Amino acid sequence: MEIKKTAIAGTLESSDVQIMLSAGTNGFEFELESDVAKQFGDQIKETISNVLGMYDIKDAKIKVVDKGALDLVIKARAIAAVQRALDIVDAPKWEVL
Amino acid sequence: MYGYLEGGIKVELSDVLGIREWRQNYQNNLENQFPKNVVVSVKLNIPGEVKNSQVLKKILLDGWMELKSQFEEQNEQLLFLRLILDRITGPEALAVLTGTIMEIKKQAINFEESFKLGRLFDVDVMSKDDKGYQLSRTQLGFEPRKCLVCNNNAKYCVKEQKHSIEEVQMAISSYIKKSEQREEIKFDLSQMAVSALLYEVVTTPKPGLVDPASSGSHQDMDVFTFIESAQALHPYFVAAQKIGNEFLGDNLSQMFNELRRVGVIAEKRMYLATNGINTHKGAIFSLGILVCATAYLQKNETFSRKELANTIIKMVRNLLEDDFQYLKQKPSEQLSAGEIQYLKYKKTGIRGEAVAGYPAVLKVGLPFLQKTTGSLNQRLVDTLMYIAANVSDSNLIKRAGTVEVVDEIKKWSKAYFKKGGSKTVAGINYLKELDQLFIQRNLSLGGSADLLILTVFLGKVEGII
Repeated sequence: MEIKKTAIAGTLESSDVQIMLSAGTNGFEFELESDVAKQFGDQIKETISNVLGMYDIKDAKIKVVDKGALDLVIKARAIAAVQRALDIVDAPKWEVL
Repeated sequence: MYGYLEGGIKVELSDVLGIREWRQNYQNNLENQFPKNVVVSVKLNIPGEVKNSQVLKKILLDGWMELKSQFEEQNEQLLFLRLILDRITGPEALAVLTGTIMEIKKQAINFEESFKLGRLFDVDVMSKDDKGYQLSRTQLGFEPRKCLVCNNNAKYCVKEQKHSIEEVQMAISSYIKKSEQREEIKFDLSQMAVSALLYEVVTTPKPGLVDPASSGSHQDMDVFTFIESAQALHPYFVAAQKIGNEFLGDNLSQMFNELRRVGVIAEKRMYLATNGINTHKGAIFSLGILVCATAYLQKNETFSRKELANTIIKMVRNLLEDDFQYLKQKPSEQLSAGEIQYLKYKKTGIRGEAVAGYPAVLKVGLPFLQKTTGSLNQRLVDTLMYIAANVSDSNLIKRAGTVEVVDEIKKWSKAYFKKGGSKTVAGINYLKELDQLFIQRNLSLGGSADLLILTVFLGKVEGII
């Protein structure tokens, strides 16, 4: 799947994460901002990559501002961002939810 | 379920995530509407499936009222407010204020640190001028938020899910309970003040003073008059305590001015309760100050004798000039005992005591009371006689009409303690003789009795009696 438009999900509140997806050409290009990036940076990227993978997305620019979100929050926000970017908000891919 | 969650409804993850996005949109909208101002979001940190309840609504509302009055202290104006108390994801307030984002953020953190339940609060501050940039606590010179369970940096505890939800809820529940207990302890100050008034009047025998057995040199009153008077003053001490508890400014003479305003009403209530007799006028002034200052310090958890003296000194620093400046113009029939003596002997009396931070109580009465032994009545009688010999009693001087009485009371007190004080029959008999002598000469130890009241009050605050 190809990202059609830039989309945002999530907020900058504590224990949340804001994920912005936009079209890319060179695999997953992460830009990560997090107070706990040192310990959890790779884990955050992996969670988001897995979600993108489920939707068959190969290329994307992914800007992440993490405010200490738990894994399940990151996953939920990533799914929402993908659905908005692919314009499938009204037709969610239930099998990944 | 813990009490603070009673009546709450469980939420889903999607509720929480949805409401966060709603809030962010709402905040962005406010930033656009008020581009020059600061948007403030006030929420509670309540981990778990239940995030709202009657208790939590009240906590948010109390906290918001407190924060609002702190902003008003700084002359910031409230331009917009939306209070949402019933939402299942938790009660919250969204507001717009004047001021700089830096100042508002500092006040918000200050509130999180100082409010009684501040650690449950999450106050976010943002502004159009400051897009995307959120000032962190550490950037502003504050410590990172601490975990309610283990007191380490909360951020890591959340991320690592270090504590189970049961542990976190138990910690919150006990945090709320402790805060309620602190409130109760403070609430007792007004009762301690009334007790102090009643303890003094039932202490017996006392030279020239009213006790249950005798009216001493005060024919116009008896122990019942004092009971009525003490009861009537309870609301005043509640008010004094509230003023101390809630005062947030730096200028403590402002706190004293507030106290004096309610003191005027208290005096009227006293005269109504006693049919126009002055039973506790001195106590209204001094005990009110002690209650107010003690409440103020207890709230900040900095109560000590030294801090109490310092606080009182700051409260009343303008008192002598303000009160004595215009005395000469005042008609003589309106002058109080303290005012007449200031004009006559330059003795500043109870006002001087207040201005010096009550050394007669903190350095004389209270240390002595602490050393006394025996029954409560014995301890209080001894303390009264010790105070009488070691301070200048304006009521005694007024009644004697001469300062020479000060040497006499020193002599009497010495003789009393030489006979063994309140724990010997000789001591008590001597006091009874002294009582007769006082009645004959129409003397009384009214000033010392007031100081005994103050000493008893602080004795109760400190747990000495």
